[in-house]
Amino acid sequence: MRSLRNASLVMLLSLSLYAQGTLDNAILLRPTADSWPMHNGDYSGRRFSSLSRLNAGNVNSMTLAWVHRANAGGGQAGGGGNPAFPIKSTPVVVNGVLYVTIPDHVWAIDARTGSEIWHSTWRSRGGWHISNRGVAILGDTVYVETPDCSLVALNIRDGREKWRREICDLEQFYYASTAPLIVKNHVIVGVSGDDLDIPGYLEARDPESGDLQWRWYTYPEPGSAESKTWPNEEAMKHGGGMTWGASTYDPDLNLLYFGTGNPQPVINGRKRQGDNLFTESIVAVNPDTGKMVWYFQPSPHDTHDWDANQTPVLFEGEINGQPRKLLAQASRNGWFFVLDRTNGKNIVTSEYVKTNWTKGLDAKGQPIPDSAKEPQIDGALVSPNQGGGANWPPPSFSPSTGLFYTQATRAFSVYYLYENENDEKPQGWGGNDRGGWSEAMLRAIDYKTGKIKWSHPWDGSSNVRSGLLTTAGNLLFAGDASANFVAFNATTGETLWHSRLHASVTNAPITYELDGVPYVVVGAGDSLYAFALTAR
Amino acid sequence: MNIFSIQLFLAVILAAQAGPSERQRVDNAAADRGKLVYTQYCINCHGSTAKGTDRGPDLIRSAIVLRDRLGNGIRPAFGKGADHQATLTDEQLVDLSHFLHQRIESTASNRNARGTLNVVTGNAEAGRVYFNGAGKCSTCHSPTGDLAGIATRVSPPVNLQQRFLFPALTRGGPNPVEVTVSVAGVKPISGTLVRIDTFFVSLRDASGEYQTIRRGSDVKVEVRDPLAVHHELLDQYTDADMHNILAYLETLK
Repeated sequence: MRSLRNASLVMLLSLSLYAQGTLDNAILLRPTADSWPMHNGDYSGRRFSSLSRLNAGNVNSMTLAWVHRANAGGGQAGGGGNPAFPIKSTPVVVNGVLYVTIPDHVWAIDARTGSEIWHSTWRSRGGWHISNRGVAILGDTVYVETPDCSLVALNIRDGREKWRREICDLEQFYYASTAPLIVKNHVIVGVSGDDLDIPGYLEARDPESGDLQWRWYTYPEPGSAESKTWPNEEAMKHGGGMTWGASTYDPDLNLLYFGTGNPQPVINGRKRQGDNLFTESIVAVNPDTGKMVWYFQPSPHDTHDWDANQTPVLFEGEINGQPRKLLAQASRNGWFFVLDRTNGKNIVTSEYVKTNWTKGLDAKGQPIPDSAKEPQIDGALVSPNQGGGANWPPPSFSPSTGLFYTQATRAFSVYYLYENENDEKPQGWGGNDRGGWSEAMLRAIDYKTGKIKWSHPWDGSSNVRSGLLTTAGNLLFAGDASANFVAFNATTGETLWHSRLHASVTNAPITYELDGVPYVVVGAGDSLYAFALTAR
Repeated sequence: MNIFSIQLFLAVILAAQAGPSERQRVDNAAADRGKLVYTQYCINCHGSTAKGTDRGPDLIRSAIVLRDRLGNGIRPAFGKGADHQATLTDEQLVDLSHFLHQRIESTASNRNARGTLNVVTGNAEAGRVYFNGAGKCSTCHSPTGDLAGIATRVSPPVNLQQRFLFPALTRGGPNPVEVTVSVAGVKPISGTLVRIDTFFVSLRDASGEYQTIRRGSDVKVEVRDPLAVHHELLDQYTDADMHNILAYLETLK
């Protein structure tokens, strides 16, 4: 029997001093200085904080405030998950309490001291325990997805389960890892899984009951023009396009934005000729109805597992002297896109790392894949590799500098098509990439041109899995693969401060200010580190 | 506890990467028997790979089969409808279940290669010309020296393909990454690179002493990676070059 168990009941009894208050929608629309109230900090996905008390002039005085080790207990026997699983989730901070996850586990932690308040454990029925991206909060409820396909609502005060709803079918090899997003009276949830050929979808659930409000499948209506991008309906309805990335939202336009994942079969695309919409797409939907408004496809007919789930970042910009509502994505395929987020029209397409898989751009600004670089039985040398130019670690955009920041990997591997899986109806993956060489860097991109403003090589790091944070203090925070957590001058790329942690950064840093003290919190392996300007 | 539930108990497995943790553990001997059942009763409509035909649906993607445990899901399908008149014994149903789950597991894990990859498709003579010409491979390597017998020493061929594309240095081997660290007014320090990041460079000098130097604007770090030329080649190889080089290297038995 599955159950949520509270691992800190004794501690819970003495919690009356903790004011685990509720969160209303107003804070989601205008996050306060003492909060990081949702996965991306705000709806824009910029991961930019307006806090400036901590800045380029004083960050060198920042010191360690606390460390919290996410002790999950006994692993599977203790309720699921790996007890030493790295923290990949972005914490959410509300009313002085920080909520952080690994698969099957949620912790509430005192954001001032790092002390554990409660710890909820989910007894798992299975599913891929690759990651959990974090929680969403509304009112007195904490929402989290579990690898075994549940959306679980927890009481914010003690972590006890309120309800659970199945959001995907574990038997079909779906799993769930996404951080839910609260939009008005909707809990937006995404799904994962590409071992078998199943369709992706995004759902809205009722915050009180968990009941389904709408589901939007990532394939077109049969018979529509977009459906012609598949050879037949069966291929289309088993064509993948998972929704494991972070969604963003524009309240003025009332549009929800998200990226979709790779088509299926993943590597063998020979029997799914065409662009395979709406896989590998940036999509805008109405969050009240689930109706699609526009789409743009970064990777038509992908055969390299380059999910376009990277955050679609929203910001106000200026193009040719005109103010524009923009959306930008540094996509896993190595290309950077800037779109008009009112209609999805392309403004900029450029490589943020050199690639070798395209034959140019089409009239819509989408890369045209070179069929010779599709996986081959004897191998095709492709850049980037399956890990991509960027992957799940969130990027950042600073309106102060006008720069879009992303981790970037220049990588090669050989993509093979497996001959014994290359029959009349390929399924699953049917191939894979292998081996490779890579180098990692941190890049600042001018959104108006797509040109690289500055690039910091991560010497000694072949691959980096740290997300990014920018602030109004002209700071950019990032980690490398050598366990350094680094503050940069966001304008110039100059390093200003660093601390060597016990492990490399495994999530995206956040910031908040409590009692006039600015904190920066980052996850490395199984631990959260909090740095503060004045830890008195 | 009846026999069926005992079987089910024995069949459960702990969490795999995907799917439910209580997935059916495939009994390969039973799956072999189930294949005969499938061939006799199912193959005409569901096809030789169980992926379906015009006459019957795909059984790999079937929600009924995916939910089946030791025949309890597929049992109701038999004896009903014109296409499912066959009556199977309990043993045949269990065997058939194992066969279908074997097919599912095989599909769900086919990101992993099974069998030999047929990668030797290039022109060996063109590869030899590239080796001695545009690739400049002969600058460092010789078919009668370090590469003598390479195709015998590194097999199967896909491993050799990977080796020449993405060679790796052996820790403590004869060709380490070297580094020289120079600070104005101070004698440069050289040695074997141990570790480098944005802030520090660590090396072991000729005397074997380990040293770490803080990097800064006044510190010049020169890294000499013997594999750098291989990394640069990745931007130059065409896929034809890659296949031709492998074909040539495969002649060096």
